[in-house]
Amino acid sequence: MSELPEYKFDHVFDAPRDMVWRAWTDPKLLSRWYGPGIETIIHAYDLKPGGAWLNEMKWGDKADYSKMAFQEVTPPEKLVWHHSSTDSDWNIAANPMMPDWPRTLLTTVLFEEQGAQTMVRLSQIPIDATDAEIACFAKMMAGMDNGWGSGYAVIDTVLAEMQGGEQGD
Amino acid sequence: MGCIYGHQNLVWRSFPDNALTAAAYKYNHIVMEQIGYMDASVNLDAVFAALADPTRRAILSRLADGQASVKDIAAPFEMSQPAVSKHLKVLERAGLIERDIDEQRRPARLKAAKMAVAADWLAEFQKFWGTSFDQLDDVLTSMKAAAERSEDA
Repeated sequence: MSELPEYKFDHVFDAPRDMVWRAWTDPKLLSRWYGPGIETIIHAYDLKPGGAWLNEMKWGDKADYSKMAFQEVTPPEKLVWHHSSTDSDWNIAANPMMPDWPRTLLTTVLFEEQGAQTMVRLSQIPIDATDAEIACFAKMMAGMDNGWGSGYAVIDTVLAEMQGGEQGD
Repeated sequence: MGCIYGHQNLVWRSFPDNALTAAAYKYNHIVMEQIGYMDASVNLDAVFAALADPTRRAILSRLADGQASVKDIAAPFEMSQPAVSKHLKVLERAGLIERDIDEQRRPARLKAAKMAVAADWLAEFQKFWGTSFDQLDDVLTSMKAAAERSEDA
C-alpha cells in the first residue's frame, strides 16, 4: 500500500509555548484567529479525548460547519482531532462542491518550544477515506507542490477580467 | 473551501485585508451560481487532474490571451499537433475550455468560470491555515502586551 497523502504546515510563533497553547485551547481566543477573515462561532469546545469542537464559519448569509473530535490532548505539546465537514446539525457530510474531498482528516498539531518562540507543526491526513477521497486529496497536495504558481498567474488574470465591474472598490 | 477540507469546505482567498476576503467569498458564490451547482460538483475533480500538468497550464495561459487553433497552440511548445490535441481533450473534458464543432480549425477557448472555481478551491485550502496563523500572530501579540501590562501593574 502506498502512503497516504499528507498536508503539512509549519509556523514559528513569536510567543512562549504556554501562551500559544492557550490561544488554541481557549475558545474565546481561538475564535479570534481561526478562519481567514470570516466570522468564527464556536458552538461547543470540550477539550478532552472524546470531546468535540463544533465550529461555524460565517460570511454574508453563508455558513460552513465542521466538527473536530478530539483524540488526544497533551498540554502544552500535542493536540489530535478528527476534522470533519458537517451539515448544520453537526452530522458528518460530504461537501457538495467537492464530493470526493475526504470527509474526515486526522489532524495533528505539535507545539515545540524554541527558546521564547514556539514551532507549531500541523499535519492533516485522510482517515477512513474511500479511494476516491484519497485520490482527490493526493491530487490537491500534488497541485500545491508542483508549480501551481504559473497556474495562479493565469487564474488571477481570468479572475480580474471576470470581476471587472463587480467590485466597485 | 470544500475540497477544502473538512471544513475547509471553505471558500477563502487569503488577502491580508478582511474586507477583501469577504468580497472574495461572496464572489466565489456568485461564480458557483453562474456555472451551475451540479455542473461544478460533477467536474471539479477532473479540473484538478487537468490542471496538475504544466503543459496544460501553459496551454490555458495561452488561451487566456484569446482563442487559438491547435496549430497556433502547438507552435510555441515545439509539440506535435496530436500531442496538443490530447491535452486539449483533457481540458475540454474537465470543462476548462470549449471548442467549435463546425469549423475545420476547431479553435479552443478558455471557459473561465470553471477554472476560477477550481483555482479558488485550491487557493483557499492552501491559504486557510496560513491566513489563520497570521491572525493568530496578531492575537499572540495582544496577549503578550496584556501580560506585560499586568506585570507592570
